[in-house]
Amino acid sequence: MLATRALSLIGKRAISTSVCVRGGHGVAKVEDYTLPDLSADQKSLKEKEKGSWAALSNEEKIALYRISFKQSFAEMNQGSSEWKSVVGGIFFFVGFTGLVVLWQRKYVYGPVPHTFDPEYKEKELQRMLDMRINPVEGFSAKWDYENKQWKK
Amino acid sequence: MAHPTQLGFQDAASPVMEELLHFHDHALMIVFMISTLVLYIIVAMVTTKLTNKYILDSQEIEIIWTVLPALILILIALPSLRILYLMDEINDPHLTIKAIGHQWYWSYEYTDYEELGFDSYMIPTQDLASGQFRLLDTDHRMVVPIESPIRMLISAEDVLHSWAVPSLGVKMDAVPGRLNQAAFIASRPGVFYGQCSEICGANHSFMPIVVEAVPLEHFEKWSSLMLEDA
Repeated sequence: MLATRALSLIGKRAISTSVCVRGGHGVAKVEDYTLPDLSADQKSLKEKEKGSWAALSNEEKIALYRISFKQSFAEMNQGSSEWKSVVGGIFFFVGFTGLVVLWQRKYVYGPVPHTFDPEYKEKELQRMLDMRINPVEGFSAKWDYENKQWKK
Repeated sequence: MAHPTQLGFQDAASPVMEELLHFHDHALMIVFMISTLVLYIIVAMVTTKLTNKYILDSQEIEIIWTVLPALILILIALPSLRILYLMDEINDPHLTIKAIGHQWYWSYEYTDYEELGFDSYMIPTQDLASGQFRLLDTDHRMVVPIESPIRMLISAEDVLHSWAVPSLGVKMDAVPGRLNQAAFIASRPGVFYGQCSEICGANHSFMPIVVEAVPLEHFEKWSSLMLEDA
């Protein structure tokens, strides 16, 4: 994947055609590890930094820090309120979906089969108990056949 | 059959299904432990303030997280293979029944002694008698004697189907032109429901299986009656 410059005066060299040449993200740019251009005050402060640090006042120390770093640890670690918008958005869309579902149930779906009627469900339930469906640990195991009620 | 909102397995109606239930408990417990551990580690990693940019290799933990999963896999594989071989043991069936899948019903043939055969269609919803289970009940049930090893020979007339009864722990594909053998013992009397388990067309969801396990005398009476009706 390396292009070559065969005709150049400096001879055959491989040209890397990858990210480092294009200066894309992930490349170590010189701005990342050298100091920015400094004002006159900042330059004199940098000279003072070469001496004893005990001689620096607190404001000077802070000014030196701010030359090198954009944010303090506290500013870096503070959270934002973005989570409130995210959670609010989630609730909104879930609620909207619920409205869509309710509308569908009313205006799109047909009636459920007659087996969903409560009386039919009771008969099904009784038939499941009579047939001893899942009598070991499951369904019929939880029914008290003597007293005709669910076990407590 | 399952009761409404049931999540777990149905109660076992055969010894093999009992084994499968216990194995599932064992494997699920291992899975829960691994998931809890991983979830804990994720939370710990995400919420820690400690950083170390210069970690290179770490032989001890690499050994642990290679050996431990291998041991866990052995712990799962051994019971699993045991049941696999258990299911394949030579048994001496008392009865052989052929279950043949059609679009869209099952037919059963009991040909050990006489020629008994019948179709088993799902009862349509509008024809249900009071209390019958929608999409599960059939007009004829496959009746078997309890506590007897049964050999099932499963095939199909047209397309792929699959004969499955969860509480008996049986599922076997019904392949046209092929006989697949499955075996089970119904350890208790009862009615056991299943559904076709291989997509086979429009009414794939509407060709259920009902097995009725009864004492031997009742089975003999039933088969005589069925032969008369035929």
